[in-house]
Amino acid sequence: MDVGILLQVLFWGIYAGCIYILLATGLNLIFGVMKIVNFAHGEFLMIGAYVTATVFFFTGINPYLIILFSMLALIAIGAVVERLCFRPILGTGKLNEIFLSIGLIYIIQNGAAVIWGDKWQSVKSPYEGITVPVGPLAIPLDYIIIMVVTAGILCGLYVFLKKTKIGREMRATSQNRKGAMLVGINVERMDILSFGIGCALAAAAGTLWVVSGQVFNPYMGSIPAIKAFAIIILGGLGSLPGAIVGGLLYGIAENGAAYFFGGIWKDAISFIILIIVLIIRPTGLFGESGE
Amino acid sequence: MNLKGDGWARMSIFGVIAVAMVAPFLSGNLYLLNILTLMLIFIIFASAWNLLAYSGQGSLGHAAFFGIGAYASTLIAAKSGLSPYFTIFLGAAVAAFIGILIGLTCVRLKEWFLAMVTFGFAIIVQTITVSLITPITGGWDGIASPRLLSPEIPGYQLLEYYSILIITIASILIIYSIMKSKIGLALSAIRENELEARAAGIDPVKFRLLAFALSAYIAGIAGALEIHHIGYITPEIFGVDLSFWPVIYVIFGGLGTLAGPVIGTIVLTIIWEGLKLLGLTFGRYIIIGVLLIIVIIFLPKGLVDLPYEIRKRLERKSH
Repeated sequence: MDVGILLQVLFWGIYAGCIYILLATGLNLIFGVMKIVNFAHGEFLMIGAYVTATVFFFTGINPYLIILFSMLALIAIGAVVERLCFRPILGTGKLNEIFLSIGLIYIIQNGAAVIWGDKWQSVKSPYEGITVPVGPLAIPLDYIIIMVVTAGILCGLYVFLKKTKIGREMRATSQNRKGAMLVGINVERMDILSFGIGCALAAAAGTLWVVSGQVFNPYMGSIPAIKAFAIIILGGLGSLPGAIVGGLLYGIAENGAAYFFGGIWKDAISFIILIIVLIIRPTGLFGESGE
Repeated sequence: MNLKGDGWARMSIFGVIAVAMVAPFLSGNLYLLNILTLMLIFIIFASAWNLLAYSGQGSLGHAAFFGIGAYASTLIAAKSGLSPYFTIFLGAAVAAFIGILIGLTCVRLKEWFLAMVTFGFAIIVQTITVSLITPITGGWDGIASPRLLSPEIPGYQLLEYYSILIITIASILIIYSIMKSKIGLALSAIRENELEARAAGIDPVKFRLLAFALSAYIAGIAGALEIHHIGYITPEIFGVDLSFWPVIYVIFGGLGTLAGPVIGTIVLTIIWEGLKLLGLTFGRYIIIGVLLIIVIIFLPKGLVDLPYEIRKRLERKSH
């Protein structure tokens, strides 16, 4: 076995893992504060991807800069979805939330298909073809930028949650909703905010997906989102480090499986890992906490 | 389930059956007959999903059992030359066996973990179908499936329709008797409060597995019927759409009720085909999604609850 190839697979895995980490972190945040399961989270990734491609198409500015715009756009869309769909059914049970997500998946996917068509599309990165030598490997510059951007976003989120007043209020709501209400925190505002930020993280993932040259269509989001749920089950509900480790693990496992067994196994391997883990530990690797 | 609560709805099943008996004569249109046949098959499928949900287990991967029943029945019928009317029950047994296996992983899980495992399971089955066992499944291209009845028989579509109608009625009757029996009581006890059920001497694992096996068996029959009706099977059968449809039908009609899947499937099929006539493609899905969310928020017990909901509102106004 060639060490170079193994390293290459590892590197692809880390790059793919960045997308999962952003999705899983957003889901963790939403689950922590609202305790809801939104299986339609991947649709926000998809919208982020299309927003990025559309803005790029009309303005031609560096697509990496569009990440800010797509995140802001998705905060707004997320807030609307939370207000109209999830708030009315808050507390009616996880199954109801899942069923509602199915409705959302249909609406958002096909809404996107009406606006942008249902063909596979792709965008060319301005840094396409530029590689950076790292040891024996030639790593595309895009991959390195994506890793740095992901790390930057996570650091920003960490600082926001730990150091700002709103971040502290958000964590308080996620630890004890009633207690947070008692000390005067507007928990409904925290709901809408956490949902919006979660969507913005998905949008960032969507932008990174597009600028790295991967193809996208309106139906691309569902499976990554459900994998992101698998990641937070493995990594522990509400745990940021867990989401990072789980995301990287999934990215690497998938790319390894695709390399060694063929691309068709890419999706299946994630769920095989999930099922094996749940057979051994029905509450997830770091279970107990959460609903 | 509230068997009393949907009294009118259960009565309406008889009305539906009566209409279903004469429907083909009213139109005589083969295109419509095909839609009606598929609708019956989906009533069976939705009822199967509903039976599992009745035990508190919401599956997002029922296409797996639908498809396994279909593939197994196709392969058995093709290899043995037996009539599909016989092999659908064998194919469904394979689905039930796999259902027990996946049920074993699921019985101890939280409800939304279960949703993910079943969703993933359908993807795993599809992957295996197009990779490891391609020689017998034909990979992505699929394989031909023996028809229920030979097209040489005059009026075979009509005969097929009535045979499927009989199987549909039988399935609903069986599900009804399960729900009314002690098994049904145990299942709803587990769904409502597992701890109390346990205290009453009910073994949740045993009954959950039973629900999985029964639901997978009936879903397998539905899948086999569809494929023998169409005459061709591809791995698309394991797709997300086919996992979501029974969920949508049941939520729309009324979760955990006998009539819910029947009413939901009929109403949504009419809406779906109506929108198709209007020339909507993506728009159909959007409208179905919006309707689903409206029902979940404003009519949480589904369409079977509509008359009661209206009466409640009217009474509130008159006071």
